[in-house]
Amino acid sequence: MAKIAIDPVTRIEGHLRIEAQTDGGMVTDAWSSSTMFRGMELVLRDRDPRDAWVFAQRI
Amino acid sequence: MHMENHSESSLMQALAQRGVSRRDFLKFCTFMAGTLALPAGMTPKIAQALESAKRPPVVWLEFQDCCADTETFLRASNPSVATIILELISLNYHETIMAAAGHQAEALLEQTVQEGGYITIVEGSIPTKDNGVYCCIGGRSAVDIVNEVAGNAAAVITVGACATWGGWPSSRPSPTGAKGVRDVVKGVPIINLPGCPHNVVNSVATIVYYLTYGSLPDTDHIGRPLFAYGKRIHDNCERRGHFDAGQYVEIWDDDASRKGWCLYKMGCKGPETYMNCPTVRFNDGTNWPVGAGHGCVGCAEVGFWDNMTPFYKRLPEVPGFGVEVTADKVGLALTGATLAGIGVHAVASTIRNRGGRRHPGEEAASSEEDVAEEG
Repeated sequence: MAKIAIDPVTRIEGHLRIEAQTDGGMVTDAWSSSTMFRGMELVLRDRDPRDAWVFAQRI
Repeated sequence: MHMENHSESSLMQALAQRGVSRRDFLKFCTFMAGTLALPAGMTPKIAQALESAKRPPVVWLEFQDCCADTETFLRASNPSVATIILELISLNYHETIMAAAGHQAEALLEQTVQEGGYITIVEGSIPTKDNGVYCCIGGRSAVDIVNEVAGNAAAVITVGACATWGGWPSSRPSPTGAKGVRDVVKGVPIINLPGCPHNVVNSVATIVYYLTYGSLPDTDHIGRPLFAYGKRIHDNCERRGHFDAGQYVEIWDDDASRKGWCLYKMGCKGPETYMNCPTVRFNDGTNWPVGAGHGCVGCAEVGFWDNMTPFYKRLPEVPGFGVEVTADKVGLALTGATLAGIGVHAVASTIRNRGGRRHPGEEAASSEEDVAEEG
């Protein structure tokens, strides 16, 4: 039984961490976490709706 | 290729293998001299410097980003430009494109930092709230990483609004306390290439300048290179003639918009934005927002997500510009602020551009104001 972590996962857009539980060379359980948060929804609140696309396309 | 084989540099050989001829290379150097606003006679000096330059290691850090500046950098659609720059630098670490992952990737980063003398390019903002928990890579916070990696770099280049001053993650209400590199890392030379995204022509030109002169180009009061951010979009806009003639788009898809008239009344922020978009354009010079029929949103300016919104309100009505003023007066006020921070040489040239010039545009703007008041 060993636990491995791959962080950062590269060649993707964004930040990702993978943890995997292995047993005899087989993955028995795995967890993924997105390790970055900006709060787009909170920023969009109370703004002119016509501006929403300019923000949201920068996700 | 034939006569000068004996003196051909390794850069030339590497480029030739990738189908980039010496002629292509010299065209690139001429393009760079033009972008950097250097005299054409500088082309041979740039070529010579690039041929003899030692490839600097480059570490590209991504934090709270959308990858757009990476896309921009890789999307240098002219293959010779992209090839040339990738031959000129040694890109040791870049999460989105590197082959290594996990601890192998982090080991490469650590090795580059230990060896020193590298350039750090930063994309994305740095969250400072709650001990920087909102962006972690390899188990470390962005604050830690940027302080170690950018803090020990020979030079730092920020690409895009987020890395420069925080970008939209830092806009109201700034949920994660996002900041730009200049607000987090101290004591290291930083050059800022804001924009949303920045333009690859400007990042490549900055690197070429660094390789040619061994220093970073002159900047304005917020660390933007003057060659790229020294001129107002409004002054170089291809639709400027329509502004001067009082010919405005009034509603989307009206006859005026089909004719390509001025977008000032549709909220264009060109009169208060400084960047070279009208001249270098994007996607290898294909087009830029105003050319495509949408006003400038002011993305090269600090705080534009809060200060220049709503994007479709025209300038004087945007909060922060309380008084009714013409576009040129708005521009002048902002120029005054800009001038405070930059060198005498630049002051002289900016004043020469604008000083004392009273053109038809001011009349047009005044009459347009009257119309607005009637409405």
